[in-house]
Amino acid sequence: MENAIRGKSFSYIKRYWVLYAMLSLPMAFFIIFRYIPMGYIIIAFKKYSIIKSPLEMEWAGNHGFEYFIKAFSNRDFLYAVRNTLGLNLLDLVIGFPAPIILALLLNELAFKRFKRFTQTIVYMPHFLSWVIISGLALQLFAPSTGLVNVMLNKMGFESIPFLNDSGHWVVTYILLGIWQSVGWNTIIYLAAIAGINPELYEASAVDGASRLRNIWHITLPGLRPTIIVLLVISLGHILSSDFDRPYALSNTLVTDVSNVISIFVYNYGIRGLQFSLSTAVGLFQSVVCIIFLFGANALAKKSGERGIW
Amino acid sequence: MGFRRGWTILAASSTIALALAGCTNNNAAPSDSPASPAPSASATSSASPNDSNAELDKLGLDSNLKFKETRKITVEVYDRGNDGGSKPEDNFYTQYIKDGMLRDHNVEVTFVPVPRWTEGEVINNLLAANQAPDIGVTYDYATIQTYANMGGILDLAPLVEDNKAILPNLWGYLTETNINWDKDPSTGTLWALEARLNTLNRINTFVREDWLKKLNLPAPTSLQEFEDMLVAFKDNASTLLGSDADKMIPFSTSFDIGWRADHLTASFVPNDITDRDIFIHDFDDRHLLYPNYKEGIRVLNKWYNEDLIWKDFPLYPAGDQTEDNLMKAGYVGAFIHNWDYPYRNGNDSIHASLQKLVGPDAAYIAIEPFANDAGDYKKFLSGPVDRKVFFPASNKEPVASMLYLDWISELDNRVFLQFGEEGVTHEKMPDGSLATIAATGEKIMNSPANIDYTITSNGLDLGDPDLTVKSMANGYAGVDSRFIVTANQITTHEGRIGKNANVGAIQAEDGQGQALKEKRDTFLNKAVTASVDKFDSVYDAGMKDYLNSGGQAIIDERTSAWEKYFGNETMLK
Repeated sequence: MENAIRGKSFSYIKRYWVLYAMLSLPMAFFIIFRYIPMGYIIIAFKKYSIIKSPLEMEWAGNHGFEYFIKAFSNRDFLYAVRNTLGLNLLDLVIGFPAPIILALLLNELAFKRFKRFTQTIVYMPHFLSWVIISGLALQLFAPSTGLVNVMLNKMGFESIPFLNDSGHWVVTYILLGIWQSVGWNTIIYLAAIAGINPELYEASAVDGASRLRNIWHITLPGLRPTIIVLLVISLGHILSSDFDRPYALSNTLVTDVSNVISIFVYNYGIRGLQFSLSTAVGLFQSVVCIIFLFGANALAKKSGERGIW
Repeated sequence: MGFRRGWTILAASSTIALALAGCTNNNAAPSDSPASPAPSASATSSASPNDSNAELDKLGLDSNLKFKETRKITVEVYDRGNDGGSKPEDNFYTQYIKDGMLRDHNVEVTFVPVPRWTEGEVINNLLAANQAPDIGVTYDYATIQTYANMGGILDLAPLVEDNKAILPNLWGYLTETNINWDKDPSTGTLWALEARLNTLNRINTFVREDWLKKLNLPAPTSLQEFEDMLVAFKDNASTLLGSDADKMIPFSTSFDIGWRADHLTASFVPNDITDRDIFIHDFDDRHLLYPNYKEGIRVLNKWYNEDLIWKDFPLYPAGDQTEDNLMKAGYVGAFIHNWDYPYRNGNDSIHASLQKLVGPDAAYIAIEPFANDAGDYKKFLSGPVDRKVFFPASNKEPVASMLYLDWISELDNRVFLQFGEEGVTHEKMPDGSLATIAATGEKIMNSPANIDYTITSNGLDLGDPDLTVKSMANGYAGVDSRFIVTANQITTHEGRIGKNANVGAIQAEDGQGQALKEKRDTFLNKAVTASVDKFDSVYDAGMKDYLNSGGQAIIDERTSAWEKYFGNETMLK
């Protein structure tokens, strides 16, 4: 019996072996660059030394948890956690619905050429790196030389401290994030909308439904599985943090809100040479992300959706 | 057919996979190449010729100090990314060094560029990846100390001692003082050689000379006069700048307040501060921890709130050219910066741009307005040390590397690198002094007087002090020498030279450099830009955070180290 199955799967592999050979490349990539490096997580529990292999390094104090204790008793780290959660939550609350709304709006445009043109324009910022965006932001929003503030001053208003006041900076940060990614993120929703059965719209037209009713009763429900999948993935990133976006946009006046975990890791790990500490922080971050991912997925499944696996 | 195609895919993918695996092995296992103990070279000076030949033989050298077989070393060089610059690792001057080393010592030299403004991070990465150049250079001793604690740095003590006889230029130029500056008093280890700083020139306060003339103001000699001058600049913006009046910046600074307000803050430190107090509070090279520092920052805070300071200064990171461009365009009245800042960089200097864009009278001149409690214009100068030269543990050619340092310290080589070719980058004046000519193209110097190549030396030195001073004065192509003479005189006037209280490594400083630097800049920026009534709370909260995050531990350890080596004494010899 077993032999039969084995024989069967072997002949299956033999038949499609070219496909398996092609699969070996991505597999090799993941094993070499994603799984083997995971072994180095052990650095979080050891005293880092540049000249020893991770296996030979001495164990850290407190049963190997010295660096975790150090991180959690470090005020900067706690602030970094708070800022990461705060900025990501704002991104989620404000940034997540934005592409859905934009996709719905684009979908309602009757004039196809204009729709395509608009779509292209809103994609564009996605291709700009954050370093360039931060340069643009300085040119536009600097308090005394920024174009926007110069115009405000000429009109007799005070400068708005877009970049040099913590509260304003958060708003600038979130809005620039939306500006950069909203167009790109609509692609997936527009694709999902294109997949909705047109007969539904025809039927509702016969029933005399208005546009808003169409959106509410057909388009949005059609988008629901996609929205749920993307939401689950976003929740999985709740504690992960970009580096380039906050680092490029931040300056010394707003570090109390802009220092996120990745910047903490950069300052303490790469610049401060505390590799064990930063590995511990990275590990903590990944574990929290995984918990959120599983949790969100389980919730999604419970509420009758498909989830992501 | 299908079989053959599949076979090719499989072969190709497995080759790539193997290659990738090979790469990761090389990179991820620093343990494969543990620190090799430095070949203990001993060519003692007292040995007889035969003996010393035998000793040289052991090192693989012939009697002319040439290696019998070609050796290869890599050397770090700063990449400044300057406008119109040449490749720092491959240009006229690197060729001069490469040819010379091959000719004199049979050593092949390769340069490894490291970005100047992120040198700390890049060197860290290179060291951590075990790919650091054989000869490393940094301004940051803490980095070297951290890696030394992990066993990543070669101990230079036996190298310089045992090879003293074959390193006459290195010993002659750096002398005992600079070579053993960082030698640990209890363990005897030496992780870095201190390059020699020929002039202790550090910082100056500059002001637009033509604006003073236009407003009929004398050069300020006190804080009050300086402040009045800034106010006058602001009030007379339309006289000074015409239609650009709204662009007026009476005083400019950068996020690096500690450096860019140095003479101002130094004037608030008590004149009779002891060597002990200086040492204990000297971790931060901007003197943040010196007593009464806060009052200097308070002045900046006041100016900021009176619109005398450039509003946008905290937004621009290190190396950004925005502020320079404002100076070049002529909008900035006064600032504090490196002692020769407006005159540096030949045709691209702030001075040259001002004269081009504003007019032949427009110029910055150094002034001395900030007196301390004793009426002295005190400046805190460093000791005669500059960059730190170190060998990472991965250096397999310590003797060849030492010979490189010796070669680069040799007078003729140094002078050539500092001045370049006669008729191209310098001319000989009637009095024997040398004058640089700003060069473009392949013979351009990417750093002032090529300091990035003369890694054991900063500042001109022609071997003759008189010629050196004269050459320095005419060393700024296109700048009237009176500006240089004034700047050179003021920057060290009534200065207090740093002394070497050598107490070995302070453990509490390990790995703290960058994090504390970041904190310092952050809270000083916040304090300067706070409203006047909030200044105290912002400054105090920032300082408390700085001390709690490691600053206090450093002060405490420095205090006990002082007690251990100097007891109750308050002054160093």
